[in-house]
Amino acid sequence: MNREKLFDALAGIDERYVGEALHYSPEDASGSSERIVHLKKKRLISLALAAALVLALGVAAYAVYSTYSARVPAPEESFRISWEENASGYIEWTDAKLAVTFPETAESREIEFRPGWLPDELNSLKSDEWRSRLTAEQLADKYPDMTASQPLLIESYSMSMFNNGGALLLLYYTPEDIIEEHWDEQGVDVMRFHCTQVLEANAYAPERTLEEDILLMSDPDEGWIVRLAGEVGMDTLVKVARNLEIRETGKTLRYDDFEDHYTFMDGGVG
Amino acid sequence: MEDAAIVDLYWQRSDRALSETDKKYGRYCHSIAYRICGAVEDAEECVNDTWLRAWNSMPTERPSVLGAFLGRITRNLALDRIKARNTVKRGGGQAPLALSELEDCIPGGTSPEQAVEEKELEAVIGRFVASLPKTERIVFVQRYFYLIPIDEISRELGFHPGKVKSMLFRSRKKLRAALEKEGLS
Repeated sequence: MNREKLFDALAGIDERYVGEALHYSPEDASGSSERIVHLKKKRLISLALAAALVLALGVAAYAVYSTYSARVPAPEESFRISWEENASGYIEWTDAKLAVTFPETAESREIEFRPGWLPDELNSLKSDEWRSRLTAEQLADKYPDMTASQPLLIESYSMSMFNNGGALLLLYYTPEDIIEEHWDEQGVDVMRFHCTQVLEANAYAPERTLEEDILLMSDPDEGWIVRLAGEVGMDTLVKVARNLEIRETGKTLRYDDFEDHYTFMDGGVG
Repeated sequence: MEDAAIVDLYWQRSDRALSETDKKYGRYCHSIAYRICGAVEDAEECVNDTWLRAWNSMPTERPSVLGAFLGRITRNLALDRIKARNTVKRGGGQAPLALSELEDCIPGGTSPEQAVEEKELEAVIGRFVASLPKTERIVFVQRYFYLIPIDEISRELGFHPGKVKSMLFRSRKKLRAALEKEGLS
């Protein structure tokens, strides 16, 4: 087999899925001059935003550095963070609005969690099942913009899955004030903040500002991180986190236990 | 005009079928062809050929998703065109980029003698695509069927380009595993 044969065979993808991915919107076909002017204006705004973000990045990096950081790389224009050996897996440093590093941990304790409390509208997600990821995807009917943001997403990560000797979390959002705490009851370090991501207007959607809250719970000694994110509001997110039952499975995870290794952790939505 | 009404026009052998198709799907098919061919003239010819192919196919076919049906025809015609011109590796469109990315799905130790029948490969890919989570599937199909640039996909779905790249990378890894599992190498 060669890549051309593979490429040709992709033409046989089922009609349902080809139609599903059909992004063309006939109503937008006219391409009026008004839209072009608007996009030009947007480009100017983007440049201004970029300048502001460089400043925000510096402030955020300093704030995080005080407690979490082992190594926050200098935000150089040419800095590229590799992911595996794949060119398409690269991310430009300037893409990140915030970088968080955690202490180096060679081994991690595997954990599972289950929510002890969820807001009424998400209560159907609650179960006794222990899990490593909880999403609200099954409620897509109620949240039509699910591809862009989630009402609630909880994921656990192990620091030993990272191949640079420590975990690095990159966020594409611009964070507001970063609150750092230690929750004695659960014995975890917490970092939480509200953040925004401005998506430029395009032919298919007007400009959008995605907003969500992010809460990171971590136990650096045990090498695990739980990331809670969503649009349910910070107070609700804190309540979910405070009531999250977390248990160790007894398994120790080492670098070789992971098929995928990361230099960075994708902090995007979804 | 609704897709079903346009299809009806084809079945009635009405010339209006072509003008309505062009009005609704002209830009869409043109963008698919242009991404593959990388040349406006080639794209325009592909679109015209697509209308002709559609005219000859209906009847007897009655596609349920007209856009997908036309997109598939355009994609195949555009690929045929660049193959004929032997510009797959040198063209300026999205096809060479997409081809290059897909290289990591091909299991190692391949040889031309081990080439599999197209239908078998399509079946594996069909099952693989069906198994993907919805968002990942949309990203995969947009990139490798429609050849939409990553920046455009990310804008449309509201994801950062890095996230789209990550999703595609994971999908390709899964596809490679699926192909290896089926002994396709």
